[in-house]
Amino acid sequence: MPTREEWAIVLFTLRVAALGMAIILPLGVAAAALLARRRGAGRTVLDTLFSLPLVLPPTAVGVVLLDALSRASPLGRWLAAAGIQIAFDWKGVVLATAVMSFPLLVRSALTAFEEVDPRLVGLARTLGCGPLQAFFRVTLPLAWRGVLAGTVLAFARALGEFGATVMLAGNIPGRTQTLALAIFHETQLGHDGRARVLAGVTALLAFVALWSSEAVGRARTRRAA
Amino acid sequence: MLVDTAAGRQVPPQHRRVGYVPQDAGLFPHLTVRENVLFGARRATEEVGHAIDVLEIGSLGGRYPSALSGGEKQRVALARALATRPRLLLLDEPLAALDVSLRERIVPYLLRIRDEWSTPMLYVTHNVGEALALAGEVLLLEGGRVEAQGAPLALLATPGLSREARAGIENLLAGEIEGHDLEGGVTRVRLAGGLIVAVSIVAERPVASAVTVAIRAEDVIVATEPVRGLSARNVYEAVVRGIERGPGDAAVRCAVRPELPEWLARLTPAAVAELGLSPGSRVWLAVKSHSVRVASAPPARTAPAADFGTSHA
Repeated sequence: MPTREEWAIVLFTLRVAALGMAIILPLGVAAAALLARRRGAGRTVLDTLFSLPLVLPPTAVGVVLLDALSRASPLGRWLAAAGIQIAFDWKGVVLATAVMSFPLLVRSALTAFEEVDPRLVGLARTLGCGPLQAFFRVTLPLAWRGVLAGTVLAFARALGEFGATVMLAGNIPGRTQTLALAIFHETQLGHDGRARVLAGVTALLAFVALWSSEAVGRARTRRAA
Repeated sequence: MLVDTAAGRQVPPQHRRVGYVPQDAGLFPHLTVRENVLFGARRATEEVGHAIDVLEIGSLGGRYPSALSGGEKQRVALARALATRPRLLLLDEPLAALDVSLRERIVPYLLRIRDEWSTPMLYVTHNVGEALALAGEVLLLEGGRVEAQGAPLALLATPGLSREARAGIENLLAGEIEGHDLEGGVTRVRLAGGLIVAVSIVAERPVASAVTVAIRAEDVIVATEPVRGLSARNVYEAVVRGIERGPGDAAVRCAVRPELPEWLARLTPAAVAELGLSPGSRVWLAVKSHSVRVASAPPARTAPAADFGTSHA
């Protein structure tokens, strides 16, 4: 069984993943909605850009984030002046996991939006809705299951994030240490037993998240049939 | 003017106030019937209640579109469009997805909409019968160009009109409603010269209103002797004026009354030969009351299609 400290790590991991989702949900929905309405080269470029974290080594993403937040960049200087510390802090963990799971959310939401019959959106326009209203009254209600499935999938990905997190936030026990980092840490210290317990907990959490994502997706398919 | 591509002007769809009903109704699947009807109107206004009453969809309120029949979906879509008080109703083949018997049940609703709202209707159809039943003015489009424009009956008389455009309504006769026999299920129409045609009941058309009856040439039965004991309600004595033979097909022109245009009956060449028909033959023409369509006499009301400007759906 996990110890008290280990339960704290589980809670911390769940909390940062959930916070990350809260941040990327509106951004991801907006990005997917914009992509769904576009065709041509602009869309391909944006789509590829959003998907980069899926294929880049997470450590590379971590390096990019570190550079973007360092005092060498305007953003980093602005944050420093405002007294906001992101790197090597829990906020860094949130940022790293959010960036890494963003593409999964966007891709699922994009598919869901593209499944919505565009003629229904057009009809909403003839019934007096502006583009934004048509989105909230027709597109989103018809696509919400896909968006939810994507969010849960992104959450599962966030739970297991390692590379970008360790680069941006380090591995500071009690401060930035998530489950994935703790597993690595315990094996480094030769505590293979503890590592196995933590791996088991991680697997269980990931299973529950993935299963609920699938369940939501299945319900969507059934309704469409 | 809503869209003027030459001037680069385009009114956004939400401000056009064009009530649009597509072929497949296009109801929102995530909303109930009531929520669909209220979608554009937002509030249960008097207009909404009126639309629900006229289209008789009040009892469907809590159902989702997936639980509706094709005819019910179309009625809900019509109510949804009407509820927004549009300045123009754009009906894009609203009956094309329905089977024939259902179409005929929706037409009276469309007539009621036409008569109870002063909203002009732009009705797109491939069905001449629908155009005849509903339109005040017809624009005939062929390959994207306007081939002819005018009152439906005048248009059908245009020489050189394509056979397809004319198909199924070879016999068009002006008359007025003489009376309805509700029990017998027939409406009597008096044609020029006093000839009475019994048609299956169209109680929504008031007595004495001017109408046109349309009879397909293939629905006219030709006999060479007086017929008795026949279910067809309409039997008229006539004289054959001419026979035009086509491949596998013969059109027999018959004079029923001097005041009426000649009637056309379409027979097979075998039937013409067997009956020994030739110009001057005395014949009896029989038509079932169900085979007679009733259309508004022209021009009931002119839909100002020009209001729609240069826009194309």
